[in-house]
Amino acid sequence: MKRSLYFRYGYNDLIRNKGVNVALLILLVMSSFLMATGAMVMERSVGAVNALLDEAKPPHFLQMHKGDYDREALDTFATAHPEIESWLIEEMLGFDGGTISWSRPSSGEFGDFSSSLIDNLVVTQNDDFDFLIDGAGAIPRPSTGEVYVPVGYQQSFALQIGDEITIRTDSGNQDFTVRGFVRDSQMASSLSSATRFLVSDTDFQNLTEAGGGDPEIIAEYRLSDTSLIPKFERSYESDDVLPKNGQAVTFQMIQIINAFSDGLVALALVFVSGLLVVIALLNLRFVIRGTVEDEVREIGVMKAIGLPSKAISGLFLAKYSVMTLLGCAIGGVLAVVATQFLTQSVQANYAQAPLGPQTVLVPVLALLVVYLIVIAMCRGVLRGVRKVEVVSALVHGSTLDEKQTARRAKRLARRARGTNLASAGRGNMNTRLALLDLRAEASQWLLIPVVFALATFLIVIPTNLLTTFESPRFVTYMGAPESALRADLQFSDDVDAAHQQLLSSMRADDRLSQVRDYANVLYETPGEEGWETLRVEVGDYSAGTVAFIGGRAPQEGEIALSVLNADQYQLSAGDEMSLRHGKGDATETVVISGIYQDVTSGGHTAKMNGDVISGATGYVIYADTAEGADPAAIARQYNDDNPVATVIPMQEYVKQTLDYVTTAFRNAAILAGIFGVGVALLITILFLKLRLTRERTKMGVLSAIGFSSREIASQVRFKVLLTVVVGTLVGSIFAATVGEWLVGAAISQAGLGIARLDFIPNPWLVYLAHPLILIAAGYAGAVALTVRLRTPNKSAWLKGRQE
Amino acid sequence: MSNTINATLECQNLTKTFNATDPPAKVLNGVDLTVKDGEFLVVMGASGSGKSTLLYCISGMDRPTSGSVHLQGQDLTSLSDTEMSQVRLTQMGFIFQQGYFLGNLNIRDNILLPALKAAPRATDAAIERVDNLMERFGIAEVRLHGITEVSGGQLQRASICRALASEPTVLFADEPTGALNSSMSTDVMDSLTDIHASGTTIVMVTHDPVCAARGDRVIYLRDGLLLDSRELGAWSEAHATKREDELLAWLREHGF
Repeated sequence: MKRSLYFRYGYNDLIRNKGVNVALLILLVMSSFLMATGAMVMERSVGAVNALLDEAKPPHFLQMHKGDYDREALDTFATAHPEIESWLIEEMLGFDGGTISWSRPSSGEFGDFSSSLIDNLVVTQNDDFDFLIDGAGAIPRPSTGEVYVPVGYQQSFALQIGDEITIRTDSGNQDFTVRGFVRDSQMASSLSSATRFLVSDTDFQNLTEAGGGDPEIIAEYRLSDTSLIPKFERSYESDDVLPKNGQAVTFQMIQIINAFSDGLVALALVFVSGLLVVIALLNLRFVIRGTVEDEVREIGVMKAIGLPSKAISGLFLAKYSVMTLLGCAIGGVLAVVATQFLTQSVQANYAQAPLGPQTVLVPVLALLVVYLIVIAMCRGVLRGVRKVEVVSALVHGSTLDEKQTARRAKRLARRARGTNLASAGRGNMNTRLALLDLRAEASQWLLIPVVFALATFLIVIPTNLLTTFESPRFVTYMGAPESALRADLQFSDDVDAAHQQLLSSMRADDRLSQVRDYANVLYETPGEEGWETLRVEVGDYSAGTVAFIGGRAPQEGEIALSVLNADQYQLSAGDEMSLRHGKGDATETVVISGIYQDVTSGGHTAKMNGDVISGATGYVIYADTAEGADPAAIARQYNDDNPVATVIPMQEYVKQTLDYVTTAFRNAAILAGIFGVGVALLITILFLKLRLTRERTKMGVLSAIGFSSREIASQVRFKVLLTVVVGTLVGSIFAATVGEWLVGAAISQAGLGIARLDFIPNPWLVYLAHPLILIAAGYAGAVALTVRLRTPNKSAWLKGRQE
Repeated sequence: MSNTINATLECQNLTKTFNATDPPAKVLNGVDLTVKDGEFLVVMGASGSGKSTLLYCISGMDRPTSGSVHLQGQDLTSLSDTEMSQVRLTQMGFIFQQGYFLGNLNIRDNILLPALKAAPRATDAAIERVDNLMERFGIAEVRLHGITEVSGGQLQRASICRALASEPTVLFADEPTGALNSSMSTDVMDSLTDIHASGTTIVMVTHDPVCAARGDRVIYLRDGLLLDSRELGAWSEAHATKREDELLAWLREHGF
C-alpha cells in the first residue's frame, strides 16, 4: 500500500515536472558517470601497472652508466650487501632513431624511427629479473635474426609482426624480422627517455662487433626487502668506485612514473567529477526546496489528514532516491564504455589488468559515495517538511511558520522602505525592476553565479595547465633557457672532439645567434651517507637565461640548485655547499646563488658558472635562430653532419618530453569544456524553469500593469545575464588566483621538480573565448525558457497556474 | 480625471475555450456586451459561470478563442502583445481580489510603477498625481511602508490608487472585496463609487449583492452565456437598502 502510494506519487510528479526531472537526471548521470570513470580508469591503470610489475620483476634499484666501469667494484659491493637478493649488469647498445628503419615486404611500406627522440637500446633477455614481456605475458627469447619491438613503437609506427627492422652499423646494415612486441616495466611510461629492443645473444654480439651503437650498461639490483631501497641507494651513491655516469632509478620511481603519466587522466576526471557533484548538489538542493514550496498546500493537506512528517518527506525522498539510483546506474554503464576507451593505451603499454573483486568494487564504491552524498543532502533539505505548519500551508501557501513569516515580512518591508523608484534615475524601467528583484531575491539567484563560477573554474584550470605545459616559455621549468635549438652530446669516447667540432660550426653559422655552451660535470657533495654524486651543468649564466624562483644566477664561486636538490640537501640561497670532483680531490666551498625549477633528469640538477672544460660527461648547446630561419631544417642538417649529437628544435624537445602531460591535460580540457558548458546550460534552464513557475503571479501583475511579454522576458534575461557574467568573472579571478595556487601546490607535491607553477594562460582563450561561450550558454538557456512567456492567457499567471 | 465621453467597450459573440482540460472547457459561449461610457457595470454569476474569464477577455489579459472586443472603436483582438500591453498601461486599470503587489517595492513605488512606465519623462507629475491619489484614498501615511506592513483594506485602496495612476479609461475589478471584512469592503466600495462618480467606466466582477448594488447595471452569466441584465440606475446612499433587496430578489430569480 505504502509502496504503491510512493510509486504513484513519484510517477505523477515525473509526468507533471518532466523538464525539471529530466534535467536533474542528466545532471546526476553526468556526476556519477565521471566519478565512476575516474575510479575505473585509476583501478585499471594501477591494475595494469601492477600486473606488468608482477610479470616483469623490475629492479628495486638501478644505475645507468655510459663509459668504462670497474666490474670488480660491483662484485665487491654486492658481496658487502647481504640485502641484495640478486643483481645483474645489463649490457645495452644505444642507436639513434635515424639509424633504425622498418619496412613491410608485403606492401612495400617503409620508414624509420628518427621522429622519436628517445634512446633506442638494443638488449638481450635477462635471466633472473627485469624481463621484457610479450603480449601474452610470457618472457620471449628471440632466435637469431628476430627482434621484439617496444609496444610504444608498435602504436606510433603501426608496426606488425613480420615487418623488417634494419639497424645501420659502422660495418653495414643488420636485418631483423619483427617476431613480436614487448612491454617494458622500466621504460613503459611515456615519461621514460629510452626504450628497449630485444634481440638474441648472437645478434647482440654481432651488433657490438659491428660498431655504431653506444655501449651502455645498467647495474640492476633486487633486494630482499623493498623498505631497504633508500638506504641501499645512499650506499651505492656514496661508493666512489661504482659506475654512476647516468641516471639512478628506484623501484618507487618506476612505480610513480608509471602511475603518474596515465594516472593524470584519472585525476583530471576526478577533479571534473568532484566539481560536478558539488554543482549537482547545489542544484538538487534548490530543486527540492522549490518543490516543497510549490507543493506546500499538498503537504498541508497530508499533514491535516494525519500523515506524519516522516511519511510525507518519504514521498519526496523515494522519488529522489530512485532518480539518483537511476542516474548512478546509467552513469555506471556509460563509465564502463568510456573506461575501455580511455585505458586502451595503458592496457597495451603495460599488461591486461586482472579482473578481480576490486574491478567491480572500486566503481561501485565511487557510485555509492555519489548516491550517499546526494541522499544525505536530500534528507537534510527535506527536514524542512517537518517545520511546515498546516494553517500556514493551507491558508497562505507558505512553508514558513508564524515567526518566520513575521521575520520575512519585516525583512521585506525594511528593504521596500529603502527603495525609491522615482529617484532611481531615468534608466530603463525593466533594468531597474530586474536589479531590485535581484537584490530582494539574492539568496535564490546566488545559485547561478556560484554554478557559473564553478563551471569557469572547471574549464579554465585544465586549459591553463595545457597552455602552460605547451608554452615555449615552459622550458624555464626545465632549467633551460628560452632558445630555438638544443644540441645534446652524451658521453662517448670521442665526445670532446665532437663537441668542439659542433660548437665551432654552430658559432660560425650565420643562421644561429646566442650560442651558449654548457658541460655536464659530475661533482660530489656530502650527503647523509658520505659523498654523493651531484650532476652540475657548467657554463656562462650571466645572460640571465634561466628563471630563478629564489635568488639569482650563479657567479664565480657560486652554484644554483634545482628545487629537488635544494630540498634534498636542505639548502636555500645564501647557504654554503661543499663540492669535490672525486675522491682525493680538493674540496671547495661554493655559495648557493639561487633555486630554479627543473623537470628534466629526475629534477636533480645544479648549475655553476665557469668555463666549459673538456672531459665532461656530456654537453648541451643552446642557440637562437635568425629571423626567418627554420629551426627544424637547421636541426636536421646538424644531426646529419654530427652523428654523435642530437640536435632538435626546442619546441619539439618540450613537446616530446611533455607529451604525456599535455595529452592528459588536453583530454581533461576538452572533457571539462564540454561538461562545463553543458552543465551551465542545463542548470540555467532548470533554475529558470523553477524560478519562472514561482514568479508567475509577479509576471501576471506586471502584465496587468502594462508590461509586455517581451519586457517581462527581457527582465528575466537581464537577471540571468548579470548573474552569469558575475559568476564567470568571479570564476575567472578565482581560477587565476586560488586555482593557480591550488594546482601549484598539487604539482609541487608530485615530486616533478616544480615548486612554484605560474600559469602561462592563453588570454584570448581563458579570458575571452571561454567566458563568452559560458555566458552565451547561460543566455541561450534564458532565451529558450523565456520564449515561452508569450502565452495568450496571462490571467493564469495571476492565479499561479501554468499555461 | 480621464475623458470618458467616447469610451465604449463592446464585445461580440465572445467565446473562450480552455484546451488544457479533457474534454476542452468552453467557458464563454458567445457573449455580446456593450459597456457605455462612464458606466459602472457589475458582472455576477455562480462560480464557474465565466464572469472572471469575461473580465480577462475584454481587458486583453487573455485572448478570446473567437469573437471581437472593441475599446473606443479599437479592435483589441487584432493587437500584438506589445500593443495590447500599451493599451493596458494607458487605458486600463486593474483591481484584484488579492492585492498582487511587488513585494520588493514600497506602497508608493507600487502605485507609481504604471505611471512612471507610461510617462518616464514626467516623473514629477506622476509623483504629484500619486501622492494626491493616496491622500484622497486615505493611505498617505503608509506611503513608504512595505506591503506586509499595512492592512488588507489599505492594500486594496492602494490597489485602487495603482489602477488610477495612469488615468485609465476603464477600470476592471475582479472581486475587489473578496478578501476583506465588511467594514473594509464598504471602504473599498465607497472608493469605487467615488471614482465612478468622477466619470470613470468600471467593470466589476463580484459575488456580493451588496457590492453589486453600487453599480449602474448588473449582468448575470450562467454557463458562459449572458443570461440577463438589470438596470439599477444611479447609486444613492439613501436608497441603498431598497436597491440591495431588489437586486437580491432579481438574483434569486436566476438561481443565485
